Amino acid sequence: MLLEYLDVFISGMTIGSVYALMAVGLTLVYGVSRAFNFAYGSFYSLGGYIAWVLMMLIGLRGGYFMVFALAIPILMVFGYFTEKAIVAPLRKRSDWEVKVMMITLGLALFMDNGYQVLFGPRMKSLPPIMDGAIEAGGIYISNQDLMIFILSITGILAFRWILNNTRIGMAVRAVAQNPDGAQIVGIPKDKIFAATFGISTVMVGAGGVLLAQKYFISPMGGWDILVKSWVITAFGGMGSIRGGLYAAFILGLLEAFVGYWFGLNWVLFALFAVLLTTLAIRPQGLMGKWG
Amino acid sequence: MKKLNLFVLMVAAVFTFAGTGFAAEVIKVGVPLAMTGPYTDTGDNYWKGIKMAIDEINESGGLLGKQLEPIRFDTQEFAPERVMQGADYLCGKEKVDSVHAGWAGWGQDVRAYGKYTAPFFADDGSQSAVEVFKSNPEKYSNIFQLTDTDINQAKSMFRVLMALPYEYPNNKVVIINADDAWGMGVGDTLEKSFKEKGWEVAMHEVVPYGTREWGSVLTRIRRVEPAIIHLEIVSAQEVITFFRQFMEAPTDSILSYGYSIVPREVVQTMGKEADGLIGEVPTAMPTPVAPTPEAQAWVDKFTKQWKHQPQAGSWAAYSGVKAWATAVEAVGNEKDHNAVCDYIATNGYKGETGWWKWDEDHVMRGGGDVPFGHYQVQDGELVTIFTDPPTKPYKDFKFIKPRWIK
Amino acid sequence: MSMNWKSMSAFIAVIYGIMAIMPLFVGDVDHLMHILIMCLIWAVVASCWDLIMGFAGIFSFGQVAFFVIGAYASAIFSIDFGINPFFAMLLAGTVAGGFGVLVGLPCLRLKGAYVALVTFAVHMILEPFLKSGMGRAIGTGGSMGILTIPPLELFGISFTADNKIAVFYAALVLAVVCSVIIMLVIRSFWGTAFLALKDSEDFAASLGVSGLRYKLAVFALTSFLTGLVGGFYGHYVGMLSTRMLGIDLFVTLMIMLVLGGIGQYPGVILGAIMTVGINENLSALGSYRPMILGAMVVVLVLLLPDGIIGLLRRFAFWKTSAGEKAVTGGVDNN
Repeated sequence: MLLEYLDVFISGMTIGSVYALMAVGLTLVYGVSRAFNFAYGSFYSLGGYIAWVLMMLIGLRGGYFMVFALAIPILMVFGYFTEKAIVAPLRKRSDWEVKVMMITLGLALFMDNGYQVLFGPRMKSLPPIMDGAIEAGGIYISNQDLMIFILSITGILAFRWILNNTRIGMAVRAVAQNPDGAQIVGIPKDKIFAATFGISTVMVGAGGVLLAQKYFISPMGGWDILVKSWVITAFGGMGSIRGGLYAAFILGLLEAFVGYWFGLNWVLFALFAVLLTTLAIRPQGLMGKWG
Repeated sequence: MKKLNLFVLMVAAVFTFAGTGFAAEVIKVGVPLAMTGPYTDTGDNYWKGIKMAIDEINESGGLLGKQLEPIRFDTQEFAPERVMQGADYLCGKEKVDSVHAGWAGWGQDVRAYGKYTAPFFADDGSQSAVEVFKSNPEKYSNIFQLTDTDINQAKSMFRVLMALPYEYPNNKVVIINADDAWGMGVGDTLEKSFKEKGWEVAMHEVVPYGTREWGSVLTRIRRVEPAIIHLEIVSAQEVITFFRQFMEAPTDSILSYGYSIVPREVVQTMGKEADGLIGEVPTAMPTPVAPTPEAQAWVDKFTKQWKHQPQAGSWAAYSGVKAWATAVEAVGNEKDHNAVCDYIATNGYKGETGWWKWDEDHVMRGGGDVPFGHYQVQDGELVTIFTDPPTKPYKDFKFIKPRWIK
Repeated sequence: MSMNWKSMSAFIAVIYGIMAIMPLFVGDVDHLMHILIMCLIWAVVASCWDLIMGFAGIFSFGQVAFFVIGAYASAIFSIDFGINPFFAMLLAGTVAGGFGVLVGLPCLRLKGAYVALVTFAVHMILEPFLKSGMGRAIGTGGSMGILTIPPLELFGISFTADNKIAVFYAALVLAVVCSVIIMLVIRSFWGTAFLALKDSEDFAASLGVSGLRYKLAVFALTSFLTGLVGGFYGHYVGMLSTRMLGIDLFVTLMIMLVLGGIGQYPGVILGAIMTVGINENLSALGSYRPMILGAMVVVLVLLLPDGIIGLLRRFAFWKTSAGEKAVTGGVDNN
């Protein structure tokens, strides 16, 4: 029995690490600029399709290292200019928050169906990042899951390091805390907004590459990711990266144990029950600063 | 606004004229399929079969000397009003003389198209669609189902599982199905069949689409160590992730995938990795060797035209068009919908493998010349090991014990 | 901000007036009549959405869910309890309104994207719920849906899908009534209160405008009307399934809003009619249709911030103090 719990626990941690990587980008953008990106799931798929084009269509050598090396700059540029093109012009308006939700929803529809036109409705697959499994005392962990866990955590740590130790990272934090103040001291606010969007695109897109090799890529596959990320960021507190991390692992474990005790059909109910209860007690989420 | 109205009127006028002006030259055929959304892929399979049949007829001089003109309609996600709109558009406005669908609404379609008279072919494979038909057979006499129901398919799966040349180590089964009408129908029927036979249904799990993390379910499965695991989710990502996660520490279980074996990606993605999986396809064209030379010629032609093997549904939809065309030839007037429907219902149609016969519920029941096909993945391809009913091995192909069973 | 009473009524009267004579031209084309009926139904749903999002400033994303709740409730009342469909519709509206209040309650303390999430959560949970054992227990038919719903019958007329002209006029009456109610709300003290709340909640509170009460009331009202129309839809189409909860309908409604202009009532009515028209015309294009719709949203939000109404106003059809207040960045908005 204990062994089973351990098994489920590991499964929950695997899910949690994936969620953490997904949610961090969403919470960052909301924290810095209060823009809610509905196309987040489509950016996830974008990462997957970039990897597919590089590996399967062009036949790029060098494995996943090269894929990440090429995909990250592409995603960064894509995110940066998407913000410049469709989000930034809306900032001037009074009801810009809802407009951003709508325009990104439109973008999501455009992108998802664009994938369908370009790549066809059927799913695409990538070779696994690593084969085999580790066995220890009756517990099995596939190397694939292990790699996802390690790379997710590495990605998040790298991201935190950038945020805390680089000039751009500090500028991002300054804008998040006080946009006008930041501008007064000479930080280009608009560029930071766009850069933040770019970084978040990299986070979710890299997550897309990482997960595509386990979960595959399909045109509408991003919706699930958007919903889960949304729940996690709201639960953890929108804008709080640490909150998002805790939330990701809590909800990952919740998903695994609810699935184990009650069945997978109850996972969604449980997620929302926990979310609503949390928001009823703490409207700003676990660690959120914004209302 | 006024311009819009004018536009609508003009469009309406043009179509009205078109309807009367060209009716003599072409026969319109309605094709309502999912062209967008989550069902695009299945819609595509049906379309390829239908297109092939229409092209064939047109190339050989048409039907009663007239060319067939397919009119497509995007059923999107099968919302009720969308299904109804399809019927109103194709039958009401375009006045088509037959409608060829695939998955079409699982009962909603019967109601929508039953209002009209044009023969309607669907591939719902659903008992609820049959129930709607039975509620008023007179009114719905133009509805024809190309496949047997979920219940009968599940019963066939059960019969074949019981007939496998394999000694089950215990009498425990785990059933996992999606929460859609198809999955529920198959899952519930299987549960009943297993219980009647004295098996223990150790787990019956209903899961939502999009499930790709199976850890918590597999933990329970590994405790149960069932002799059979049946999975019924018609979506490749779910069933491939299940298989791969299962294989990390497999139990001595036969993996029965039912209709979930159908999405082409399952075999394409996994190749030989999928060896050992078994599954079922109704109104199927058995592979790798077709039962008759005509059938083999059909498979070859399809593969040549579309550059891949036919998938479930393509042949059924193709045969629907051919069955209708045969009836129209016999009746001699495509406009006499009642006579055409009567002809199909009483005479059936002789296809590549033999006779298609619709029963009194206008369902093409599995069996006879068009049985259910039961497959096993062998050497990375789907190989027919059984046909049913009656349950009998197909040609010389044999069931092979999966490699993960000790 | 928006039009005055007179031009608003005139606008609505013209749109519905033109709609009313449409059956003279296309009354015998079932397919077009169906599209017109759906125009009216979506016009009401989108109007309710505009009321709650555009005027009350609440990011409610649960409108489709309330529509489906109303549709199922009305169907279940009329089938399982034998209640006359007309009263079943009213009851269904009440049920949806009750759910609206339930959903509204936790939203009172929340803001922005949180409200969007909580309301959208209702949408997402609804499908698994309707399909589940609980759903089947209350008569939703599970994943099969409900396939035979009795039609609305009034004054000896049966409003079935076979009698589209009758259904059309019933829908028109319903749409006019709903539009008038929404217009009254916008033009009443409520409307002013909402505008005050949207601009500055603290200031409004100091004037004695309680945000909580008005927000709950608008949740109740919009979900009541949406649920009522949902009931009407169910009795008209005669069947229901959870397939309405796909993303397609949700986005289509949003396009109506964007096209008509958010908070520019009654522009959304025109938005609804145009969106349905465009959607139909693009239908043959397959996957390009949603692609074009998505691109349309992007372009419209960027270029037509106030939708069609904004465009009309730019050509000086109406003299109003334009609502394009510039607020520097939204981050410091709070």
